[in-house]
Amino acid sequence: MQHAIQTENLGRTYKTYTKQEGLLNSLKGFYNRKYTEKVALKNASFKAESGKIVGLIGANGAGKTTLLKMLSGLIYPTTGTARVLGYEPSKRENEYLKQISILLGQKNQLWWDISPRDSYALLTKIYDLNETASKNRVMDLAHLLQCEQVLDTQLRRLSLGERMKMEIIGALLHSPKVLFLDEPTIGLDIVAQTSIRTFLEKYVKEQQPAIILTSHYMNDIAQLADQLLLISKGEIVYDGNVDHFMQTTDLKKKLIYRLKNSAEEKEIVFNSQELNQVLSDLSKTGNVVDLKVEDVDFEDVIHRFLQAESGPR
Amino acid sequence: MKTLFTVFYRRNLALAKLAIITNLQYRFNFIIDAFIQPILTVGVEVLLWLAIFKTADASGLIGGFGKDSYLAYAVWAPFLGRIAISWMYETMMVEEIASGSINTILTRPLSFFEYYLSQTLGYKIITTVFSVTVPIAVSLYFNLPVLYERLPMAFLIVVYYLLLVHTMSFLVSTLGFFLTRIRAFTLLKNLSLLLLGGELVPIDLMPPPLAELLLSLPFSAGVYIPLAYITGRGGWDLMSRGFINTSYGLLIAGILSYLLWKRGVREYTGTGA
Repeated sequence: MQHAIQTENLGRTYKTYTKQEGLLNSLKGFYNRKYTEKVALKNASFKAESGKIVGLIGANGAGKTTLLKMLSGLIYPTTGTARVLGYEPSKRENEYLKQISILLGQKNQLWWDISPRDSYALLTKIYDLNETASKNRVMDLAHLLQCEQVLDTQLRRLSLGERMKMEIIGALLHSPKVLFLDEPTIGLDIVAQTSIRTFLEKYVKEQQPAIILTSHYMNDIAQLADQLLLISKGEIVYDGNVDHFMQTTDLKKKLIYRLKNSAEEKEIVFNSQELNQVLSDLSKTGNVVDLKVEDVDFEDVIHRFLQAESGPR
Repeated sequence: MKTLFTVFYRRNLALAKLAIITNLQYRFNFIIDAFIQPILTVGVEVLLWLAIFKTADASGLIGGFGKDSYLAYAVWAPFLGRIAISWMYETMMVEEIASGSINTILTRPLSFFEYYLSQTLGYKIITTVFSVTVPIAVSLYFNLPVLYERLPMAFLIVVYYLLLVHTMSFLVSTLGFFLTRIRAFTLLKNLSLLLLGGELVPIDLMPPPLAELLLSLPFSAGVYIPLAYITGRGGWDLMSRGFINTSYGLLIAGILSYLLWKRGVREYTGTGA
């Protein structure tokens, strides 16, 4: 079976200039620069299918964006190979670029000084699309995202949520077969997040693109991802689905309690079979006035995973 | 069936329109850019030459040319100089690489060179259409020695030279792949062009060996050569020399920028994304 995305031992090392504090070191650095190499990603091998969303999770600096950048052809890999739709991304062939899209949640991809509709007209020319079909597609997508009323407002005058919806329309205008979404819901309120999530879910079902999605909102991943990739310190440490990941984790239960004379709720996460031991230990700590036991959810598990992984390398 | 050329043409026309739309969005900035700035620059140059001619000898000639000839030079030099230089778009290109905004171009079926060339041309066309009224009005009012029938050819060489300027801007911006801050290069390049192009001082007033050297470089084709052509200081020989020099300049800048670009995108880290 031909996968939409396939990587083999993909890796990237960055070289950075390091300078110690102070004026003297600035002067020293003027003629004698010290560079250090940082491995952002190593031996990343995975496959992704069309019509599926891959959720990419990792702490800051884990290598998620580096992976997206390599797959979209923005940067060259130092090691390994990547094939997306049968193309080598770093060659950036026009035929390849016409079939992909990357949305960087913290960057504008549309033109800041003109209206989204003007931007889409320009994209229509850049991607050599049929003008009528393109206009209809804009209206369809705007209708799905409920944002028709802002299509003629200058981009810089839109709210963050409206802007993100406009960016999504721009990214989907040419019906890409592969979509890279880096934090598409960052900074959005809960309503806008839900609206974008629902839209993506529907879009994938209908259009069947392969999507790689990174997000700091675990609800995005839990609701949307068919496949989960966990990256830690530049390496893929888990490749499977969300349910399987939850089954393999040791953390199954969460005990939330409150001690007498304290308003603060505390929690302990543990394996199901450790319940007796946990209760026994808790009773020794003081006067427990309130407690409840819950199942650990996806967000909790990932949160703990990221916490453990975000320590120094 | 659409040919590759049609697709290319439509895309670039759309980009040129983008530059026009964007610049017209900000009316006051545009008015200052298209009218106020050229009027002020022309005013400064005219005053300078009037002051110089107060000290001229009895013949009233400097370097074999009279006051009116220099006034024509002073009126048209800043205008042509504005077309033949690219501060704004070069700064944007440099910033694009430094900030990582270039990501949006690199991930689309579009070249960085083409993207900015079309916009530069669009911007130059719209500002030129408005600002050309200033030197024409002044030349007509003071009856300055300008050969108006030669204007189309003069514009042609300036536009051709603009291709070279854009290639140099592209070259400078590719340095952004290797160096974090490169604003000083833009400043250095543009000041050099101002001097080497004859915008500040007519090349024929310079010492002969230096004048000959500057005329053999492509930069004189931006201001001095078209200006000499429309004011009658030079003829077709000088003009054809300008076209040839610009062509070899384009070839050298083109090869250098191609090599730097190829190497640069390999070094690129996609900053800011």
